[in-house]
Amino acid sequence: MTEISALIVDDSSVMRKIVERALRQAGVEFAKVFEASNGVEALDVLREHPVELILSDINMPSMDGLEFLRQMRAQHLAPDVPVVMITTESSQDHVREAIATGARGYIRKPFTAEQVKDRILPLLNS
Amino acid sequence: MAASKQMNLAGVYGHGMDEAVAEVFSLMMGIRCASVADRPADEAETISSLIGLAGAMSGTCVLRCDVQAARRIAEALTGLEFQSLDDTVKDAMGEVGNMVTGAWKGRYPELASNCMLSTPTVVTGSNYQLHTQRPELRIERYYRFEAYSFSFSVVCESRQ
Repeated sequence: MTEISALIVDDSSVMRKIVERALRQAGVEFAKVFEASNGVEALDVLREHPVELILSDINMPSMDGLEFLRQMRAQHLAPDVPVVMITTESSQDHVREAIATGARGYIRKPFTAEQVKDRILPLLNS
Repeated sequence: MAASKQMNLAGVYGHGMDEAVAEVFSLMMGIRCASVADRPADEAETISSLIGLAGAMSGTCVLRCDVQAARRIAEALTGLEFQSLDDTVKDAMGEVGNMVTGAWKGRYPELASNCMLSTPTVVTGSNYQLHTQRPELRIERYYRFEAYSFSFSVVCESRQ
């Protein structure tokens, strides 16, 4: 697998590191990992840097993950880049809303490295 | 009759709390954690992770432990070592509280879609108590992993 650049969005720096570690365990190799603690920061990153994968929490201060997704699409930032939501919110309503807004996948916290591998790798190989 | 219903609810929700705690500790930390009957000993300094509930249930979920348990939880979650209750330990405690609360409410269809969670608030200090005006239901469970213990509480102010 070639090295990719990814953006991980979560208000918890601990969770950003855990997500990165899970991706590395899944075999993803990074050229660069960008981090943002909310949707506003994430949009700023996307204006400056190209990425091949975005993983985002939903429940964050300032701008939540769903609004980030809407703004990303509205501003035509990273239009073809797969976005996967990683969140404690497990309701089907949230899943449907995330997918309707353009997310390509959904991982519920707590997660296993296997779940991350199964949901992310197909997106990178497609 | 109302008291019996509350007891049933406490039993149902309490069982879900046990499952949620075990799931988060097992999947995210590789640690076996089980409920115990004994309340953790009162420690001078404790840390509490608070997650607000709104919607179908209004209230707060609280994960509370002493400093040593918090450091061990953060170590297990991150793979790093901590000598003090620094910002990373507080962040880890907030996330564990968040995941346990999310895993708990996700077990109940009446809450999963209709009960929103706040971002975590972490409180540290000595000899403090968390107060809620006339909670409709309060469930507190105790847990033990390795040589450490903690409590997880659901304090329900109202239900729709």
